Amino acid sequence: MNFELMRVVLFSVGMAALATVVMLPPGIALAWILVRRPFPGRTVVETLISLPLVLPPVATGLILLRLFGRRGLIGQWFDQLGIEVIFTWKAVVLAMAVMGLPLLVRAARSGFEQVDRRYEQIAATLGAHPVRVFLTISLPLASRGVMAGAVLGFSRALGEFGATVMIAGTLPGTRTLSTSIYVYTQTGQDASATVLLAAAALVAFAALFVSNRLSAVGL
Amino acid sequence: MSVMAGVPIVLDFTVHQGSFTLEIHQRFEAQAVALFGPSGAGKTTVLESIAGLRRPTAGVIKVGGHVLFNSADNLDLQPHARGIGYVPQDVALFPHMSVRKNIFYGTGCGASMSPDTVLRLLEISPLVDRSVTGLSGGERQRVAIARALMSGPELLLLDEPLAAVEQSLRKRILPYIERVREELRTPLIYVSHSPDEVRQIADRVITLEEGRVVESSTEHCRPTEGRSTADRRRLP
Amino acid sequence: MIARLALLFVTTFTVSACGLGGTRSGSSDSPRILVSVAVSLSDALRRAADEFERTTGVAVDLNVGGSDTLATQLLAGASGDLFVSADTRQMDRVEAGGRIITSTRVDLFSNQLVVVSDVDLAGYVSGIRDLEGSRVRRIAMGDPESVPAGVYAQKFLKSVGVWDTVRFKVVPTRSVRAALAAVEAGNADVGVVYQTDVALAENVAIAFVIPVEQGPRIRYVAAVTAGAPHESAAKQLLNFLRASRARRIFEDAGFIALRGGPP
Repeated sequence: MNFELMRVVLFSVGMAALATVVMLPPGIALAWILVRRPFPGRTVVETLISLPLVLPPVATGLILLRLFGRRGLIGQWFDQLGIEVIFTWKAVVLAMAVMGLPLLVRAARSGFEQVDRRYEQIAATLGAHPVRVFLTISLPLASRGVMAGAVLGFSRALGEFGATVMIAGTLPGTRTLSTSIYVYTQTGQDASATVLLAAAALVAFAALFVSNRLSAVGL
Repeated sequence: MSVMAGVPIVLDFTVHQGSFTLEIHQRFEAQAVALFGPSGAGKTTVLESIAGLRRPTAGVIKVGGHVLFNSADNLDLQPHARGIGYVPQDVALFPHMSVRKNIFYGTGCGASMSPDTVLRLLEISPLVDRSVTGLSGGERQRVAIARALMSGPELLLLDEPLAAVEQSLRKRILPYIERVREELRTPLIYVSHSPDEVRQIADRVITLEEGRVVESSTEHCRPTEGRSTADRRRLP
Repeated sequence: MIARLALLFVTTFTVSACGLGGTRSGSSDSPRILVSVAVSLSDALRRAADEFERTTGVAVDLNVGGSDTLATQLLAGASGDLFVSADTRQMDRVEAGGRIITSTRVDLFSNQLVVVSDVDLAGYVSGIRDLEGSRVRRIAMGDPESVPAGVYAQKFLKSVGVWDTVRFKVVPTRSVRAALAAVEAGNADVGVVYQTDVALAENVAIAFVIPVEQGPRIRYVAAVTAGAPHESAAKQLLNFLRASRARRIFEDAGFIALRGGPP
């Protein structure tokens, strides 16, 4: 396992971790709103969130490319600020976060659904304002679901390919485990591809192990 | 026993819920009020409305001069702003916190209670560092009462506090509630369907049946010096 | 709980930051040229680019992908200096979108199509007509809708008049390499791939080579992108690729160098 392969593995794991951190606040917030604060148009929001799950990843990648490309709706603002997104590590994190978010929201939703509203009500009568109730009661009681969601999101991020190829390309600085395996198999470098496959399996085991430890210890 | 001036309370509201309607129009001052009646009469609905966990269809709720709810002014104070302590029937101790964390969860705007007093009164000091699981029904009840008290409420609501306690222990819990009433001077509204409990605790009994108050009297109550006549009103 | 999680993630970041090497752009005095290149050409291009780096000191990064994906990226405004497509169709797309400097567009190389077969069928498939035979049940090739190699293969089969009889046997694949892999794995009896892929092949037999005169007009087209951050360096690289030293590298890999200037 040479230096470049090591680097790709470290990079992918790091980016997936970063993507998980990035998707946690909006994911938790969305899950909470969908469970506790039904609003008109929530079906639209639910559908939008599920899109990356249902669409082929390449299609999601295309949408992201249009949005964040230099002329895109969102991309043009970044461009004015001098921030490059497409073909950089930021695009890797973006693709991973977008693809992992739906899974996180689903698991977190079920986590919040299982929190007995009674506890939240009592906490309120004890003088806790809604934010405090959320942080001290709802979130801790839903932590199992949220953690499961984070693990799912992380795994999805690590395995992400289609959207990543589209917006991050396969440049030396943005190649992930998945896209590297793709390039190596496409150019006949089967040996390197196999090494990365083994690395991917190892990382998957490690992630599973860590997540089991975290949930057993009872966060 | 000295006469204690109670906290003025106005319960003047209606709740429409599906086919059930609750109507209550009561003004009183009391130290300990019992809400009495068969199940389904609407007792819990009254408590939830006072605590802010349920929004009445129309009316006014005032406790101690503070308006908690007034549909005419579109005023509906959030539960955390009401200063009402609530111990529900299912006790609802926070399962992910220790006894200590449960008890000290509240941040009160009411009179500050001395923790030592409350713990001593309810005899739960030896329990504080235990986890919430594994407590007996009686212990859970006392912890829940302590928790509600520590948030410094203006009014304490107890919903069938003895329902979850083993029969043999019920007689032992009541004294704690009496202590709360007498030593801490916290006004309370106590829901029960047991006449014995009611008689022991309350200076006023409001009887509910199918969503309507059928009787509100101080007659059946504990004898207190200084009161000469029973104050009794029968409603149609 | 939060503390433990935070620690976990901070450790992961620190560790992964080591992996953040290879950023784009470089500084102005040591530019890094970004070339978006079709997969089938990428290996040989990498070797040629290494040669270029050695002689000029200018670094070259490759963004490897399917020509259709690369074109889509460029059209959406993704940055890059040079685009090398495996067919004219994708280059036409990008040109129509105004994303290349048209005067720099040039046909670099050609390739040859080869029909490979499952080793068990070695000897049974020796000519085009054999594709119509009952022994050949599945023909793997790149998707003619998007993969250049598939476009070429379809063109060829149409030109010899067997497309209508064999089209139902065609298994379109995502890439040329996938078509090759399908034959290697025994999931297709026959595959239409590039001459340059054959070197990578194991466990397949070369059924027959399609002579250049009979085959479709395969063209690897290159152009400097419009608004390229390193335009002059990109032009330098393009000229290098057309010069003899680079030509030798590509011919060794099986590509056919095209003499002469732009079409």
